[in-house]
Amino acid sequence: MGASDGIELLGKPRGPGSDTMLGTPQYKRDRCVTGVHGLDEILRGGIPYGSTLLVGGTCGSGKTTLAMEFVVNGAAMGEATAYFAATEPSVKLLENVRQFSFFDMDMVDKGLLNVFDMDVTYSWLGLSKATFTMDDVNALVKAITDIVNTIGVTRLVIDSVTTLCYKIPNDQLIRDFLFTLGKTLATQGCTTMLIAEITSVGMSHGGGRSLWSSFGVEEAILDGIMVLGDIDRRGHLLRYLQVIKMRGTDHSRAKYAVELTPDGVMLTPMLKWGVDV
Amino acid sequence: MTEVTLNSSVQVRCGASNAFLVTASLIEPLITEFEMQGVYISASRGALELINTLNEIGVATENVHFIDCVSSALLGGTESTFPNISFIDSPIMLESILLRTLYHLNTIPADSKFVILDSVNALAIYNEDRMLAEYLHTLINTFRARDVLSVIMNVPDQTPPGVLANLDLYCTDLIDRGQVVIS
Repeated sequence: MGASDGIELLGKPRGPGSDTMLGTPQYKRDRCVTGVHGLDEILRGGIPYGSTLLVGGTCGSGKTTLAMEFVVNGAAMGEATAYFAATEPSVKLLENVRQFSFFDMDMVDKGLLNVFDMDVTYSWLGLSKATFTMDDVNALVKAITDIVNTIGVTRLVIDSVTTLCYKIPNDQLIRDFLFTLGKTLATQGCTTMLIAEITSVGMSHGGGRSLWSSFGVEEAILDGIMVLGDIDRRGHLLRYLQVIKMRGTDHSRAKYAVELTPDGVMLTPMLKWGVDV
Repeated sequence: MTEVTLNSSVQVRCGASNAFLVTASLIEPLITEFEMQGVYISASRGALELINTLNEIGVATENVHFIDCVSSALLGGTESTFPNISFIDSPIMLESILLRTLYHLNTIPADSKFVILDSVNALAIYNEDRMLAEYLHTLINTFRARDVLSVIMNVPDQTPPGVLANLDLYCTDLIDRGQVVIS
């Protein structure tokens, strides 16, 4: 076989679902277009439909704005969306997002954007207790998936999954909860963002443990991990976003600078000489 | 300036003593003659002072959005009655300056838009040479790709040689307004 044969062979698709380094056409999963400025380019078209991803970030890094823009952009395209607020009351959350041009209260009135207070969901399920059992976790997964099913939700956010997981007593149960939730939502075609609060981002020194999540068990189970953090550039905090993992799509793994504008999140590649200043 | 090509990037060299006059003589025809609207990135002086001085000599500034990279460092410097000024924490937040500029360009209704960066030598006070060269490369190409005229001001003898060499390479045009020597 000559060199030209080898190149020709690489250029041919190997069948449905195959990826080739150089070949075209490639199989591509349908994408959930986030509509967030720059993010769909980073993800080469958007989040693969039905994925469950972890959006981890430090405080003030823009997690809630990004997640809200994700659901609102879906609602603007006529999709039914849901946002479970566990860190702040829904009234306060909606008041905070009214400043952004992408938000329109009509979406809430028309039932395209459904915001739920997690505390109300707990009370409704009789889960007003400090620690959940396996049965409680299953009841919660069923309640969330029932809502998704009933409304026909295609975009879902749980903000944050960290506060929810604090009620789950061990890593195995957290793993089971996230796995079951992700699997059930995926079968319903729902693309989900789970917000995680983390204190620092990156790799821990010495231990080799990654710091993309709150409990360290979420990373392997979920389809994607996106982190938001801050870079200290000579005393000024510059927000950044990085996609660590996203199953089903080739994606950039570079750091992108984040700016919160009245139009929402905007992204641009972070200057390479400015990352470790 | 008698002709404008939208996707071009013009390097404007001036002296320390004539910088304001050069600025005024550039911005005035863009607004009045070519009926353009745009964004002015002000790293040399506060936007409030700049607007007042331009207005005093009859240059209208309503259709220009000013990104002020200076005043946030002065406590109280961000109090302004002009709605067309936004403030950046520091000239070291280069990516924020770029994204804010893109945001404001998106809000401008005119077909012909410009961005004026005033100035490379002011940004060089705060930023390391390699980062500044990388930034200018990104900035110029970003606006060229969007058919936005970019005007990059600099005082050559106060600009690092490496940055200046890169600027010569990336810019499509050069206007040298030299130094006015007052004896």
